[in-house]
Amino acid sequence: MKTLTSLLMAVVLCGCETVQPWERGILAKEEMQWQTNVSEAQLRNQIYASKEASSGGAGASGGGCGCN
Amino acid sequence: MSRPKDERNKTVLALTSSALLLPAYQGALADAQPEFTEVGMRYSKYDEDDILSRKAFGGGSERYEIDVAQFHLLAPVADQWSFALDVAWEDMSGASPWFVGESASGSPKVIMSGASIEDTRTEVSGTTRYYFDRGNAGLNYTYSDEDDYTSNAVAVDGAFNSEDGLTTYSAAVSTSHDDIDPTQGTIPTNTLSARKDVNSVWVGVSRIVSKRALVRFGLSYTYRDGFLTDPYKGDDRRPDERKEWAASAGYRHFFDAPNAALHVDYRYFNDDWDVQSHTVDIAWEQNLPQNFRVTPFIRYYTQHEAEFFYNLEDPSYEYFADDYRLSAFGAFSYGLRLRHDFGDWSINLDAERYKTDESWGIYSGEESPGLVDFWRYGIGLDYIFR
Amino acid sequence: MGQPAPAVLLPDMSAAGEVSLESLRGKVVYVDFWASWCGPCRISFPILEQLRNELGPEGFEVLAINVDEVEADARQFLADVTVSYPVVRDANGTTPLAFGVMGMPTGYLVDRTGVVRVIHQGFRKSDGEPLRASIVELLGE
Repeated sequence: MKTLTSLLMAVVLCGCETVQPWERGILAKEEMQWQTNVSEAQLRNQIYASKEASSGGAGASGGGCGCN
Repeated sequence: MSRPKDERNKTVLALTSSALLLPAYQGALADAQPEFTEVGMRYSKYDEDDILSRKAFGGGSERYEIDVAQFHLLAPVADQWSFALDVAWEDMSGASPWFVGESASGSPKVIMSGASIEDTRTEVSGTTRYYFDRGNAGLNYTYSDEDDYTSNAVAVDGAFNSEDGLTTYSAAVSTSHDDIDPTQGTIPTNTLSARKDVNSVWVGVSRIVSKRALVRFGLSYTYRDGFLTDPYKGDDRRPDERKEWAASAGYRHFFDAPNAALHVDYRYFNDDWDVQSHTVDIAWEQNLPQNFRVTPFIRYYTQHEAEFFYNLEDPSYEYFADDYRLSAFGAFSYGLRLRHDFGDWSINLDAERYKTDESWGIYSGEESPGLVDFWRYGIGLDYIFR
Repeated sequence: MGQPAPAVLLPDMSAAGEVSLESLRGKVVYVDFWASWCGPCRISFPILEQLRNELGPEGFEVLAINVDEVEADARQFLADVTVSYPVVRDANGTTPLAFGVMGMPTGYLVDRTGVVRVIHQGFRKSDGEPLRASIVELLGE
């Protein structure tokens, strides 16, 4: 947890390049988004969560199902 | 042929509440409403491998199969709002492990619930989102219904950009109230009716690293309270409380020459049942001529067993579960996505293979005979109203 | 704001030659920084076109400055969303830096004497009305 927090701080304070607002065209590409297919990602996460003992991490957990 | 009720309902089990609410907007532009209305339909098939005869009493058996249909709608509303509707229908059939027993040779084997279980689940989720100058905030309600399991969940999330727009801070809270009403049949269940509450909070930060790279970190805490035992397993006694932590990191990098984007995601998970896990997800989004895109992906998962996981029951245990999902194992999955855009349409095809083995994990433990391997296939069609 | 607008002299995307902000002195000019990948830019174009058609005869002009890295992306956008006002291209980011653009899109409403009077960041459908009011006010000066 400590490592993560310090990593997080490092990124927030880091010497990341300044990328001007007009230079963000590549970052706006669909394939650069955190999720490229929301429906498929939802299904994948649901399947993993119902077959493994872990869930969450990418957002708050929402409603449940009795998936087996 | 009509099916015995007890078998029908063995499918449903709330090990984990699973529908994840992901803040829909985590990209470089958190403050802009979607420009167009988009709709999508998906059909997916989830198919578990048969359980091998050496791992099950009564010979090999078919396992689970799920047909999933999903509908997605996202529409801008007025000037600063959007509305999203997601509906999923699942039709499940097959058999699942009922309990683990000791074979004549001493090795544990699974007793399957028998064939032709059937259950359906419907999930409806609505999200309204408000976009302001430097961010957005969303409110989500999700309702999920099965024969013997009902869930109501509410979530609120928000994203806020720094003034230079290089950093986005996000947060979400959610609460879910689940009712479990197992149907009594010839096989006794653990409870007549029970409740489970899940409360979760998440914070995240994403940052533009360069013109071609983005990074994000997230931290979540989930508290589950209530009936966490499996009502249909032979012997299953779990604590009525579970506290979970998850830390995640993600990275996206665009490469000009191949015209492709690399996705790397990692999650560390830890709970007070002594489960720990690591997950790594890597995908390569390769653009091709003629508006095609092919995306190979791989995922590795490894978990430490829960402190009360044992294959064979002993009455002296305070808590006990022989559920393979709580055992130590490693899982590899790999797959391929293919996307083609034509005009305002987009078609997606995907396939994934998931395989587990006790020896693939970094944590050792008793191997469960119930570990699952599966295939997943999907086809989706999306349309944008330009 | 309240300062003279930085100089603009950039190649015209629809014709040969260059367009300067200076050459539009005497008019009320909306200098619009845009890119093909910017969602709200797509919303702004038809609204700006309409304002320009309506108020052009009274001395209003739009000068759109494209900041796409890949020119073909901008041309594709212009093929989808056609406008009659001048569109110029800044391939190396000199003008947005000089104007101090903080987000995409950003528009600078420049009065008849060349002074920046209104800065408009982002663009929503309902922004057309207040923008029109500002233009009319400046035209009346």
